[in-house]
Parts: sequence; structure tokens; C-alpha cells
Amino acid sequence: MDPEAARTARESLDLAFHMSNMLDTGLDRHTLSVLIALCDLGLNPEALAAVVKELRREPSTSPPMLTTPPSLP
Amino acid sequence: MEEEEQKKVIDLVKELVHRLVSQNPQNPNFENSLRYALRILSSRLTPSIAPDASAIAESIKRRLATQGNSSDALTFSDLFSKFSSKTGPGSVNNKWALLYLLKIISDDRKTSKAVVNSSTLLPNLPLNDSHLTNHFNGKESRKLGWRSNGVLLLNKDPENLREISFKEFVNLVKEENEVSEEVLVRDVLYCSQGIDGKHVKFDATVDGYVLPDLVKVPRATHVMVKKLCELGWLFRKVKGYISESMDGFPAEDFGTVGQAFCSALQDELSAYYKLLAVLEAQAMNPIPLVSESASSGNYLSLRRLSVWFAEPMVKMRLMAVLVDKCRILRGGAMAGAIHLHAQHGDPLVHEFMTRLLRRVCSPLFEMVRSWVLEGELEDIFAEFFVVSQPVKAESLWREGYRLHAGMLPSFISQSLAQRILRTGKSINFLRVCCDDRGWADAATEAATAAGTTTRRGGLGYGETNALESLVVEAAKRIDKHLLDVMYKRYKFKEHCLAIKRYLLLGQGDFVQYLMDIVGPELSEPANTISSFKLAGLLESAIRSSNAQYDDPDILDRLRVKLMPHGTGDRGWDVFSLEYDANCPLDTLFTESVMARYLRIFNFLWKLRRVEHALIGAWKTMKPNCITSHSFTKLQQAVKLQLLSTLRQCQVLWNEMNHFVTNLQYYIMFEVLEVSWSNFSNEMEVARDLDDLLAAHEKYLHSIFEKSLLGERSQPLYKSLFNLFDLILRFRSHADRLYEGIHELQARTMESSLSSRDERKTRRQTNHTSSEPGSWLSDGRKALTQRAGEFLRTMGQELGAVAKEYTSLLDGFVAQLPVQQHVDLKFLLFRLDFTEFYSRLHPNV
Repeated sequence: MDPEAARTARESLDLAFHMSNMLDTGLDRHTLSVLIALCDLGLNPEALAAVVKELRREPSTSPPMLTTPPSLP
Repeated sequence: MEEEEQKKVIDLVKELVHRLVSQNPQNPNFENSLRYALRILSSRLTPSIAPDASAIAESIKRRLATQGNSSDALTFSDLFSKFSSKTGPGSVNNKWALLYLLKIISDDRKTSKAVVNSSTLLPNLPLNDSHLTNHFNGKESRKLGWRSNGVLLLNKDPENLREISFKEFVNLVKEENEVSEEVLVRDVLYCSQGIDGKHVKFDATVDGYVLPDLVKVPRATHVMVKKLCELGWLFRKVKGYISESMDGFPAEDFGTVGQAFCSALQDELSAYYKLLAVLEAQAMNPIPLVSESASSGNYLSLRRLSVWFAEPMVKMRLMAVLVDKCRILRGGAMAGAIHLHAQHGDPLVHEFMTRLLRRVCSPLFEMVRSWVLEGELEDIFAEFFVVSQPVKAESLWREGYRLHAGMLPSFISQSLAQRILRTGKSINFLRVCCDDRGWADAATEAATAAGTTTRRGGLGYGETNALESLVVEAAKRIDKHLLDVMYKRYKFKEHCLAIKRYLLLGQGDFVQYLMDIVGPELSEPANTISSFKLAGLLESAIRSSNAQYDDPDILDRLRVKLMPHGTGDRGWDVFSLEYDANCPLDTLFTESVMARYLRIFNFLWKLRRVEHALIGAWKTMKPNCITSHSFTKLQQAVKLQLLSTLRQCQVLWNEMNHFVTNLQYYIMFEVLEVSWSNFSNEMEVARDLDDLLAAHEKYLHSIFEKSLLGERSQPLYKSLFNLFDLILRFRSHADRLYEGIHELQARTMESSLSSRDERKTRRQTNHTSSEPGSWLSDGRKALTQRAGEFLRTMGQELGAVAKEYTSLLDGFVAQLPVQQHVDLKFLLFRLDFTEFYSRLHPNV
């Protein structure tokens, strides 16, 4: 990765983090960068959002939501 | 490659789960969480909305704005624009996904804020710091949420409640609607182009597009489809009219105005097609709605369509009305009918109609222009309000062209139409009858003065003022030119004057001379008279009077005309003069006008003849010393008888002379001259040929009325002619009387001289005269007796004439005041100046 690309990446991340804060998502910088990477890999953002939501709300090992999967694609 | 990516994903997910879980103080089983996450991720592979970063950004921004922090919204849009401008290596590729992710997370946090707050707060509470309660943590928190805020109950479990009810609704709708709205929208769009849709079809029996009842849709949709399909019905109608008209075009005389109308309609339809094309394109696109729950429908719903169709519907309805109205109309009538619809308060309708009319009227205005400026009637389909008829040159002005009231559109007033008609007619008249080319300059001048060019298409509907000014300018100049030509080149005035002088006997010396020389000839029976001889006499009359100095052109036109005669007619009855008016002038001096001139001439000629006869009688009756001297030798009784007879004759003559002279004076000075002077004045102010014709007509009419030739004065005219006949009879009686007296005188002179010549004289008289001479042969006594007898019979005859004359004149004078015309009062006044007649008959 050349320095130019790195700079762009950092700036993009900054901006995204800004927006994220503004929207009050409660994500930290590192988590956000991981999410961006996953999005870039083509994962469904809805699914990612669901993961974030579930894992944050249900830290317990047996989440009740497991039995009722969200709407099918 | 694939595996590598998969591995990368798993690594990243691990990292993510680790990050997320490590945030939580209650660190649960990491493996479980990871498995759970992977399961969620694998279950949803495709997003439910279309990837559009800017639409999502817009939606976020709007939400921020509606939440009341517009500065945040602005900052966000700023950030977004910066973010989206980052491209190239190192930047975020899947921008929309990131945005969408952020949005969902934010939404989730907001909807479960209370929960999250309580759940995050709870562990911090020292009271709850227990492993036992850990298990029920979630439930506990929920209960707390309910208790703390009852309103949150609805937000509590949004996905379940809302989604379930929404699904139920969708199922209900699906059950009710066999056909989805998108299909119906497409059908309606087809119908509005006159094409049958999948479900909505044209039904000839109902005469309209119908959605069959078999198709299960809600009532409201049914009604709406029906409403929208009116447009299709109207379209069919308009389209049908256009194609019908255009197909039949050259065969049927559909007309240029009709063509213009069709092409204007066609243009309107193509604008309509454009709208439909746009709508159709829109119908394919879904609305870029960003909400996870509501399935975003197509952009066009039936309701939206009804809004879109509102304006075309008005226009289409108008066009359909016009099409209905114009089906049987053509040309100017069609333009007029459309014009009537243009009188509308709605600016939309008004503007639309004006646009349409501008197109429709352009052929019509073109016709007006070429007619007014070039005199060309470019009207193959008989659409113009000026109609030409094939006529001879002399009646071109009167009958060649006329207005066709049915084709006159109402925005052209009657007076303007008359003007238009006359201007073109003038040009044609100049061209055909006067053989004149100067009008072209006048027309060009008029066009420049009116501010329009002579090129085509210079005028349009709504510019009635421009049209009017063009017509007025053209009319002014063309009419002036025409009158100039009439006056200067064709010497109309001179001809009128000549007619007055010769036909209306205004040239006294000429009439006198003519009367003198044709008199003997005209006393012959009508069938023995040669018109050539009379023509020769006329010629000599002209040459021996002042008429010889007149323009030879005018004199050449003067002819003798013998009218068709019956048996026993004398030359006097059939003789008349005629004035030959050739091409342009015969428009003014038409046959009927000449016939009227002829009647006036006959009347005047008769009057002149009577006057002439009376003057002739006077010549013989003039008392002179010779006659009075000769009577001294007569016997007293005979002398007295002679004197009384002579006196009777003189009195009667005087009376007749009084009448004839006054009548003559009246006709010449109060009728002819006054009418002529009026006519001259009107000729001066006449602005066009119609004025001139009217003036001439008025001139003739006034002569007719005043000289008792009119319809109403028929009985008067008859009694006048009886009077004339009586006067002529008197003339012959008087002649006989004086002849007898002269004979008597001669005889008396003879007998008073020597009786030597008596025999000779007797033989002579016997030889020459048969009856009156017989009394000369006898002696003096017999002579006296004869004379007495002669004088008695003459006296009786004169008495009879006098009696008849008195009764006729009484009748005439009695009838005069009954006449309406005011000038006849002057005649009565003149005849009865001394109130002799009115005193004689007080009842008159």
C-alpha cells in the first residue's frame, strides 16, 4: 500500500467515523474499520447491522433471538 | 481465491465479534457469539434495497433535519460529499453499503435506546451486580422499560407487531386484487393511446374502455380506472377524426382550414404522446424509497396518474368537443365555430384555443391577404367567405362576388367583411373591366403602410387589428385608385353630364333643333320610319347646335333607338335617344339604369313635344294687325262669333301654356338640376365605387320620384299623359280653326276686291281643298253662313276640349297634394300660384 492510498484510506475512515458519530451509532474506530472492510468484501450491510445489534444487546451466550431468525432474503 | 476471501471474511468477523463482545463487561462465550454472527451473516445475502448511496444519504439527511438538528443535517451532507469524492485506491469502495449500515445501526439504536440504556446502565448499578440475576437481565430491563415509559410499548417490539400486521395487510390486498396496481397503470397508459390493455379493453357496446367485472379489484380502483380511461375514449375520437379526414383528403373536399385544424390537432397529440412516453418510463422505475418495511411500489400509481392526466384530460376533452362540432363544418364556418369555443375564462383553455386557432385560421387569413392585395381568390374548396360567380364583365361588380354568410367566422365583423369583399372586387374590376395595372402599386403601398409585408403568412389569428388595418389601408388606396381610373381615364363625370344634356334634354338648343327637324318625320306611322334617316337627322341636329363642340367620343355614343311598336303607333311613340356605355362604364350604366334613363327621356320628350306644339300653335295664333283688320268687313254676328271663338282658344292656350311651362320649369330646375347638383356633390365625396353607384342610384331615384315616374304616382302620371294628349288634340283643333280663319280671310279679301278672279279662285279652291273651301264658292251670304257654321262647330269642339281639360287638370291638381314627395308641393304651389284653382274648387 503506497502512502497515497493509505492517506485516502485514513481520511475516508475519518469521515466515516464522523458520520457514524453524528448518527450516534456507538461504534468505535476500530470496529468501524472492520465493518468497512466487510462491506467492501460485499457482505450484506443489513446482516452486518443485525450482527452489531444482536451482539451488543445480547452479550449472553444463548440469545433468545436465535430461535426467530430475521426475514429471509 | 474464493477460500482466501472467505477466510478473510471469517477473520474479520472474528475480529468484529471480539471487538463487540469485549465492549461488554459481561463477557459471554466468544465461540457462541461468533457462531451466531456467522449464522446471521450467511442468512442474508442480498440487501433489500437498490444500491444508491446518494438516495440513502438524502434520506439520512432528511431524517436529521426532521429531528430538529438542521445543522447536523448540513454537516452530514458536507461530510457525505467529501466522503463520496474520495475515490481511487485506499478509499471505501462500497460506499452505499457503509452508509446503509450506519443508518440501520443508528435506527436500531434509536428504537431500542431505552432498552440499551437500561441494559447498559443496569450492570453498573451495585444492587444488580449479581450473577443470579444475570440470566434474567434482559427480561428485567424490558419490564423496567415498560414501567418507565408506557409509550414505548409500541416501539418495543416493532418488528414483530408491525411486520405481522403489514404481512396480513399484504395478504388481504393480494386476495382482493387479482391484478396488481402496476399492471393496471400500464393498462391505463395503453388505453390512453387507444390500445387495448391486458385487462382494460375497449367495449363497443358501452362505447368506452372497461375493466371487466370478472377482474377482482376494489370498487375504488374500478371507478378510478374508468375515470382515467375517459382519456382513451377522447383520444380515440380525436385520432379517428384526424385519420378519417386525412384519408379522405383529396377525394372529399375537406378544405385547407380542415387540414390546418387536423395538423394542429396532430401537434397537440404529439405533445400528448411525449407526456405518455415520460409517464411510461416513470412507470417502470420504482421510487427510490429508503425504508426497510414498506416495499417500495412503482413510481406511478393510479392516483398519481390521475393527477398527471388532469391537464391532458382538459385539452383532450376540448379537442373532442371541437371535433364533434367541426365534423360537418368547413372553412370559415369551422374557424368561426372554434372561435366561439375560444371565448373562455380559463387561461389554460384560452391559450390552448388561441394556439389552435392560430393554426386553423392561417389559411383563411392567407386567403384574405391575397384577396385584398392581389385580388386572387385562392379558394379551391369553397371555404372563403367571398364567393365568385362566373358573370359577364358588365355585371362583375354587382353580381360577380358576394359574401357567403355561412363561411364568415364571427371574429370578422360584417362591415370588415364587406370591406374585404369590396377591396378584392375593386382589384378584379380594375383588372378585368378597366384593363388597369396601377392597382398593384397601390396594393404594395397599402401593405407597407399597414406594416405587414406582402409575403405569405404575415397574419394570424388574434391579430384582428392588424388585419383590419391592412384591409382599411388596402381598401383606401385601391378604392381611390379605382375612382381615379373611373373619373380620369373613363371620364365618368363627363359621361353623366352628357347623358344629362342629351338624354335628359338639358341641352336646349339641341333639343329644339332636333324637335324641329324630326317632327315631320315622327308624325308618320311608326312602321314607315327609317332609323337611318333619323340618325342622319340627329347628326344634323348635333352639327347645327352647340353640341358640335362636345367631345366626339361622347357624341359618337349618342344613338337613335326605335322602340318596338304596335299598330297605329306614330313615330313620336317609338322614338328615343340612347347612350352607349361600354365596358367599365356599363357597370354604372347598366341595362336597367339605361332603361330608366329611357323612361325619363320618353317623359321629357313628350313634355318637350307638347311644349313645342303649344309654341307652334302660338305662332299661328299670334294676334296681328292683318287678321284683326280683315275681320272688320265681316258681318257683325259672325264677327262676334269669331271673336268669341278666338278668345276661347286664346284662353285655353294660355291655360295650357301656363301648365306646361310650369311643369317644364319644375322638371328642369327643381328636379333635374337639383338632383344633378346633389349627385355632383356626392360624386366628389364618394370614396369607393359602391358610394358612386349609390349616389347614381339616388340621383336616378330622385328624378324618378319627383317627375311622377315612380310606382306611387302611376295614376298621376296617367292623368298627366291624358293632359298631354288633350293638349296635342287642342293643337290640331287650333290649327284647324286658324286654317279656317285664314281661308275665310283670304276669301273675304278676295270677294272684297274684284269678282273677276272669283271663278278662278273658286276653281282653284275647288281643286285644292274639298270641304272647307266649299263655302267659298257660294256668294257672300253663303260665305257668311258657312263661316258662322264653322265657327260654331269649332267653338263647340274647343268648348268640349276646354271642359275636358278643366276636369283633367282638376283631377291632376287634386291628386298632387296626395303625393308624398315634398317637392311636388312646389309644383302645386307653382301651378296654383294665384290660388285660381283652389278658389275655383274650394274642396281641393
